[in-house]
Amino acid sequence: MKICLVCSHGGHLTEILQLQEAFEGHDAFFITYDSVRTRQLDRKYLLRNIGTNPIIMAQASLSMLRILLREKPKLIISTGSEIAIPAFYLAKLLRIKTVFIESWTRVDRPTGTGKIVYPVSDLFLVQWERLLPKYGKKAKYEGAIL
Amino acid sequence: MIFVTVGMHTKGFDRLLKKMDEIAATSGEEVVMQIGHTNFRPQTAKWFDFTTEEGIKEWCKKARVVVTQPAMSILDAQEQNKPVIAVPRLQKYDEVIDDHQLDFARHLEKEGKVIAVYDVDKLEETLRRMDPKPMKLVRDKRLVNALRKYIELIERG
Repeated sequence: MKICLVCSHGGHLTEILQLQEAFEGHDAFFITYDSVRTRQLDRKYLLRNIGTNPIIMAQASLSMLRILLREKPKLIISTGSEIAIPAFYLAKLLRIKTVFIESWTRVDRPTGTGKIVYPVSDLFLVQWERLLPKYGKKAKYEGAIL
Repeated sequence: MIFVTVGMHTKGFDRLLKKMDEIAATSGEEVVMQIGHTNFRPQTAKWFDFTTEEGIKEWCKKARVVVTQPAMSILDAQEQNKPVIAVPRLQKYDEVIDDHQLDFARHLEKEGKVIAVYDVDKLEETLRRMDPKPMKLVRDKRLVNALRKYIELIERG
C-alpha cells in the first residue's frame, strides 16, 4: 500500500524514523522540508520550510496537492509539525485517510498543529496518557516511541 | 570532548551556546557545537550550523557527553551510548513557542533518563561531577504495533 509520511526535517522526522518498522513492506515516501539531512532520504519530495509564513504555506499546499494527485497514497501519517496542516486538509478533500501522532516531547501541552489537524484526522494518537484530556474523545494513547 | 547540538529549530539557543563557549574557554576541554539557527558565533568552541544524520552520529560517537535540548536529539546520543545533559529551551527567552521542553525534561529526569539542567550557570559543575552512565531508553513496540494494525485495516478497505 502506498503511504505518504509527512513531517518537518528535525525531531519530527526522527520520530517518524523511529516508527519505520510499521511501514515495512509498504511503498512509503516522504514529504518533508529541504535540508542536508532530508536530501539523503530515499523516496522524498522536499519543500521549503513553512515556519509561520502564510505565503510559503500556500505554495506548499499547491505543491502538496500536485504530489498527492500524482502519487495517490491511501494513507498519510504525520508526526508534525505545521507541514501536516495542508497535508491533512488536502487529504480530507481527496479522501485519503490520515494518522496524526503528537510528538513524544509533548507531555502536558498540545501542539498548535495537533489542535488544527485534530478535527480532520482519522486516527489521532498522543504519546503520553496525561495529554489525552487536552484533546477530545477521538484522541488515543497506544504507547510511545520509547 | 563535549558535543552540543540544538537541532533544526528555527529559533536560536544563544543562552546555551554562550555558556558552553565560556566553558570551552575555561575548562580546556574540547567543545564542538551544532548551532542551527543561533546567531551567536562561538569564539573558542569548534562549530557548524547543520550536518547530515551521519555527521551527528559521528560527533556523538566521539563525545564523552552530549549537551542538548530535551527533544529528539537525545536519541542520537542514546544510540551511541552517551550520557545526555538536557537543557530546556524556555519561552521567556524566546527560544521556543511554549514551555513543553520544560515539562518533557522534568518527566525524563523523574524517570532517570537524562540529567536535566534548568539554569545554564549549573552546567559547568554538572559536566564536571556527572556520572558518565549512558541513559537507558527502552523501545516501546506498542505504538509500532498500533500503527501496523491501522495500516492493515486501511489496506483491507
